[in-house]
Amino acid sequence: MAEYNKSIPSPDPYVTQPFWDGAKEGKLMLPRCTTCNRAHWYPRILCPHCHSSNIEWFEASGEGFIHTYAVQNRAFGGWADETPYATAYIDLKEGDRMFTALRGVNAEDPTSIKIGARVKIEFEQASEDVFVPYWRVVD
Amino acid sequence: MPSNPSMSAAIVAAAESDKIGYIEEGTTALNLHIEAIRNVCAEAGVSPSEIDGVFSTNNSNLLAEYLGIHPKYIDTTAVGGCSFQMHVHHAMAAINAGIIDLAVVSHGEAGYSSRKNQGKGTLGGGGGDPWLPAAQFGGGPYGAWGPPSYYAHALTRHMHQYGSTKEDFANIAVVTREWAGLNPRAVMHSKETNPRGGPITVEDVLESRMIVWPLNILDICLVTDHGGAVLISSAEKARSFKTSPVWIAGAGESQSHADMLEMDDFTATSAHASSQAAYRMAGMGPGDMEMAMIYDSFTVTAGITAEMLGLTARGEGPSLWADGNASPGGKLPVNTNGGGLSFSHSGMYGMMLLVEAYRQLSGTAEDGVHGIEGKQTNAQSAVVNGTGGLLSVTGTLVLTSDV
Amino acid sequence: MPSNPSMSAAIVAAAESDKIGYIEEGTTALNLHIEAIRNVCAEAGVSPSEIDGVFSTNNSNLLAEYLGLHPKYIDTTAVGGCSFQMHVHHAMAAINAGIIDLAVVSHGEAGYSARKNKGNGTLRGGAGDPWLPAAQFGGGPYGNWGAPSNYAHALTRHMHQYGSTKEDFANIAVVTREWATLNPRAVMHSKETHPVGGPITVQDVLDSRMIVWPLNLLDICLVTDHGGAVLISSAEKARSFKTGPVWIAGAGENQSHQDMLEMDDYTATSALASSESAYRMAGMGPGDMEMAMIYDSFTVTAGITAEMLGLAPRGGGPSLWADGNASPGGKFPVNTNGGGLSFSHSGMYGMMLLIEAYRQLSGTAEDGVHGIAGKQTNAQSAVVNGTGGSLSVTGTLVLTADV
Repeated sequence: MAEYNKSIPSPDPYVTQPFWDGAKEGKLMLPRCTTCNRAHWYPRILCPHCHSSNIEWFEASGEGFIHTYAVQNRAFGGWADETPYATAYIDLKEGDRMFTALRGVNAEDPTSIKIGARVKIEFEQASEDVFVPYWRVVD
Repeated sequence: MPSNPSMSAAIVAAAESDKIGYIEEGTTALNLHIEAIRNVCAEAGVSPSEIDGVFSTNNSNLLAEYLGIHPKYIDTTAVGGCSFQMHVHHAMAAINAGIIDLAVVSHGEAGYSSRKNQGKGTLGGGGGDPWLPAAQFGGGPYGAWGPPSYYAHALTRHMHQYGSTKEDFANIAVVTREWAGLNPRAVMHSKETNPRGGPITVEDVLESRMIVWPLNILDICLVTDHGGAVLISSAEKARSFKTSPVWIAGAGESQSHADMLEMDDFTATSAHASSQAAYRMAGMGPGDMEMAMIYDSFTVTAGITAEMLGLTARGEGPSLWADGNASPGGKLPVNTNGGGLSFSHSGMYGMMLLVEAYRQLSGTAEDGVHGIEGKQTNAQSAVVNGTGGLLSVTGTLVLTSDV
Repeated sequence: MPSNPSMSAAIVAAAESDKIGYIEEGTTALNLHIEAIRNVCAEAGVSPSEIDGVFSTNNSNLLAEYLGLHPKYIDTTAVGGCSFQMHVHHAMAAINAGIIDLAVVSHGEAGYSARKNKGNGTLRGGAGDPWLPAAQFGGGPYGNWGAPSNYAHALTRHMHQYGSTKEDFANIAVVTREWATLNPRAVMHSKETHPVGGPITVQDVLDSRMIVWPLNLLDICLVTDHGGAVLISSAEKARSFKTGPVWIAGAGENQSHQDMLEMDDYTATSALASSESAYRMAGMGPGDMEMAMIYDSFTVTAGITAEMLGLAPRGGGPSLWADGNASPGGKFPVNTNGGGLSFSHSGMYGMMLLIEAYRQLSGTAEDGVHGIAGKQTNAQSAVVNGTGGSLSVTGTLVLTADV
């Protein structure tokens, strides 16, 4: 594995671990409330929609759409080598939203990136235990 | 005369987290908070969504975001272990003023578990807790380094959703710079005060260095040193000072999220809710406002806020600055000090809004002491809106002159 | 019915620090704050000592200490750049409630100078700013590692000034432990819940490990995990919940210092001032109280506070716990949950005071759910005092049962 030189997120063992376990296997695991049947993000111990505590995890499609984006021209540490690169908020097919850096786009030409473009999740290994989610434009 | 707030409020329920003591399997401060709030609501028989005031040491906005609630009063007073007594005191005053009806005071602290977790999950270090939801899933893992990294996403969305253009927003910077041209204390007053000072054009903005597309550097506020203070007096004593009173006719606050990950609508902020509360308290509306001080961390912040304050139609915020209307001599002056964009901005800008609004409405915007000419308007009322975090939290005031 | 607080307060003066912008010679956030406060008071023609409410992001107690003020309302709400709009809103509610007459909202931020000063002098990072007065001249250079390092000095002085003894204070721990034995959820309930749990004697306290003379381990509170929350409702709705109301008859807050370096009298705290405010608001006095919840980070904290609350004569604080008076079955129960000393204490303890006071006054201190028998008293009123920092800040509440 090439050394991952960017800041690596720390999984919280009490609430978010199912997401990070799924990431290791290339799966997008999402929390969902079994009372109102809505998924939410970020993971919580109760549903932010209806406040029920009945939460389960399920394997999601890994598909979504670009809701909005920006192109980072300035960055620090390992990300400085990647500029310009695009960040985006992704509308998940199953509902709610994630944040990411985009793959499969030409960040040198910001207006070529389209809001509404279809994206798919992929995971990049950052350390033995942590695989970081990225989203790639597939349209 | 203020009324004694005794007995205007009551504690109606109390609960703890699921476990307390030496929790051997470990836990986080955030989980302890949420369990306690869940449990106290269950005891009282209410939904968390009925809570309209949130009080905690430091983390009230995070708690509101987690629960998906949008309180009208947010207090994060942290002065040590007695903070919770202050919170009850503060909540009582807020309830007594009719601002809120149901407050939660919350506490979560992994005093024991923090040791085995090497300080993680403590909500400490001013946002540095690596187990914060935003630290795991927000900007950090993707190289976001500051507000520009995030605010840019709002402008992209606004342009997509409403067909607005970078030129529309660039004009906000141009007009704000006009006011700086009348304020010798503004960093960007002239080429004498700063190499890049003096008047600018829309083209200048579009050609300035690109920081985070679609935000150019002239779309972005300064980073200066700044101190400021205001004194606020009871009505009884307000005319007993060397200086004149500017009345707090209305005030309101609210929030929509803590981290941008949780922002529902990238073209809107809670300034809609906070200004409605302020207008309602004042018994006035946007049409009664004679000037505006609108937090301009970025051109996009100001543009969106104009819509939220009801000063323009949705999607058309930048039009407030069109046709010279917001400029010196215009019919609705905006950001008469030269703004965070051209006057001064230290990181948090809300104080500068207050100082300028006070000066305009008290007729001291040209005060001789500072040798300022030309920026005094004849406005007798002002709407003042601050936006904090990542378009996260807002406070709105309606101020009126002493007439 | 709450009255509309519109126009109950006015901004009466505004000022900045001596310089603003790119201050080439550098400065600190604290200096910017103080210059601004000095300047705004000069403009208004008031002395800073007339200020009775202090509002800033995070640093209100430091500012009060620096200026030698003892405000009745301290708000450190920090939610980003809009915090100052919240401060005005919060100050208005406090003035409207008659708690204060003159508030200062202060801002100081070395956004520019922070970079060249490598983050020193920014007041960010909590107490980690190396240029803080306390960091240069307080406990850090002399190896202080936590609250015990500081609090011990107060006990030494009390024994000198009043002839009190370690035994007197040790008895506070003994009595508090008695209540813990009636609370199965208390960490030190029994040998089953904890190896050193169960009843203790004065000799046990004196023989326990010496931490910072004259404080032994059993003079010092626990460090646990803890979450808690209370709901506070307007009077109109207070009886509409599944749970019963406990009325906030009175409330007050105050401070004497931030760092112990600035503590005038090591045998006294601002609980005298904060309880006076609370009693006055309630129209009650110490003689009307039927129980007390007194923050017991240390035996010395509780002992001194008893004097400040008017429950014992000056110098005779520990006597409140003598002769079984504060014990189960005694005429004046104190810390009926087992205290921070024996029940639970996560670092900040003020929430636990509120929860136990609520349970006692609502008759739910033995609630079946937790299987607790024996700690319910018949108190109908309680004085609740929290002490934060290094005996620095206090908040006092007078609560009454719903009768």
